[in-house]
Amino acid sequence: MTALEWLRNLPKSGRALPILSSPAATLLGVTVGAMTQDAELQARAMLALAERYDSAAAVSMMDLSVEAEAFGCRLRTTESEIPTVVGALLADADDLESLRVPEVGDARTGIYLEAVARAKALIHDRPVLAGMIGPFSLAGRLMDVSEALVNCIVEPEFVHATLERTTEFLIRYAKAYKSIGADGIVLAEPLAGLLSAEMESEFGASYGKQVVDAVQDEHFVVIYHNCGPNVAQMMDSLTSIEAAGYHFGDAVDLGTMLSGMPSDRIVLGNLSPVQVFCTSTPDTVYAETARLIDACKGFSNFVLSSGCDLPPSTPIENIDAFFRARREFVG
Amino acid sequence: MSIIADISEKLQRGRAKEVAALVEQGLAEGIAPSEILNDALIAGMNVVGEKFKNNEVFVPEVLVAARAMNRGIQILRPALANEGIEPVGKAVICTVKGDMHDIGKNLVKLMIEGQGIECIDLGVDVGPEQVVAAVRESGAKLVCLSALLTTTMMGQKDIIDALVAAGLRDQVKVMVGGAPITQEFADEIGADAYTLDAASAAQRARLFFEEGL
Repeated sequence: MTALEWLRNLPKSGRALPILSSPAATLLGVTVGAMTQDAELQARAMLALAERYDSAAAVSMMDLSVEAEAFGCRLRTTESEIPTVVGALLADADDLESLRVPEVGDARTGIYLEAVARAKALIHDRPVLAGMIGPFSLAGRLMDVSEALVNCIVEPEFVHATLERTTEFLIRYAKAYKSIGADGIVLAEPLAGLLSAEMESEFGASYGKQVVDAVQDEHFVVIYHNCGPNVAQMMDSLTSIEAAGYHFGDAVDLGTMLSGMPSDRIVLGNLSPVQVFCTSTPDTVYAETARLIDACKGFSNFVLSSGCDLPPSTPIENIDAFFRARREFVG
Repeated sequence: MSIIADISEKLQRGRAKEVAALVEQGLAEGIAPSEILNDALIAGMNVVGEKFKNNEVFVPEVLVAARAMNRGIQILRPALANEGIEPVGKAVICTVKGDMHDIGKNLVKLMIEGQGIECIDLGVDVGPEQVVAAVRESGAKLVCLSALLTTTMMGQKDIIDALVAAGLRDQVKVMVGGAPITQEFADEIGADAYTLDAASAAQRARLFFEEGL
């Protein structure tokens, strides 16, 4: 079965595909900080999760600081969280002249590629997907997220010029994942979800589509993630990206998204990673999972998932409750 | 169109330079600074806040409108001081220790400033001692705390505890917000208010001051 066939058959199988990686630190007794620096540890983490849960795919860490670091951004690192970008590389268009588009493998991108290659060698019963950032969200990290949003209005040419560079790198990075045998990518564009539909089309979708066009085929799928609150108004623009799958956050009603997206696009979502998975009880996770399954059971393109990547501190018993509910309500 | 209406409209469209020029023109024509502040700048920002709540405008439009308002305020400030008009109140705002996320905090700050409230922005990764010092120094009556991570949300409690220990808790109201925060959590840590979005936070902040803090 090809990756595209796998994804298209996923709703029928009823299997869930949460964005689940960093909570494995708890299973392995290591820190998330250590995982962000160690390909072997990441691969073992993906294997530990695959052995414990019947998730539809293994997904590598959603560390959205990796690509920005490769461009030269400074990071703040802690043992308990994914690193965060500090400050901005680009204050204005003049700074673009000295901006070097990195090579694939620079900074920790090599670690993340190696982790997925190792996971592919360890996990044979399901696809392995790589998590990576999208062009607009990466541009936001290079120029500061607030500034990026403002610049979409006051300096759109600067944003486009930055997007050309981030897209160039991300296409090469996605191709590298493809070449090492990954079955696809989850392309995360959280920042684009804060734009209006018109701006998302101009600054988000048009560049996301370039990544999709460059790598997606029968054997390599792109799941486009946008957890913003405005996605219901972006249906046309999101559809134009032509990703095989779309992953939405808990800021929107998933039924609305399933109704609005074409039925041949797989729609994944959207239990709150924080309010449900991380800070509630197993009973609540179980009940909320059952509620979402029931709410979306009439849609032939629905795949049960979290609304974003699960935080490192998500209790394992809550993840257990999610998969228990899926088994009992879907079979 | 009157200058007041024109300022409000230009502010809503984020035209900072035009807002600044119109405020100058309004002052030159003898319009009271308080009228420009309340009926043009704050009124314009209220329209933006309402549209934001109704999904008619989005974060970028709010950010540019808020910057346009700030340009107008800069021009207006000396005239307001001459008239003896003080800000509605002062607030200290920050993202808590260990947390580098600033977009939510920035949005709340800009929306609160849009209510005529002076904001002392301590930035991100801010510990209790910095907040206590800022409250002492500024006399702020409102503290706004942002946290985006489950691992940093307890930093909000640490700051509230530090305000209690410093004997300042009775002098300030504390508002909390951020992705992992709920009303239940706000109640648990002893915050005075939790709001779901930036526009609601600004309205709540204004209410605090109007209720006679």
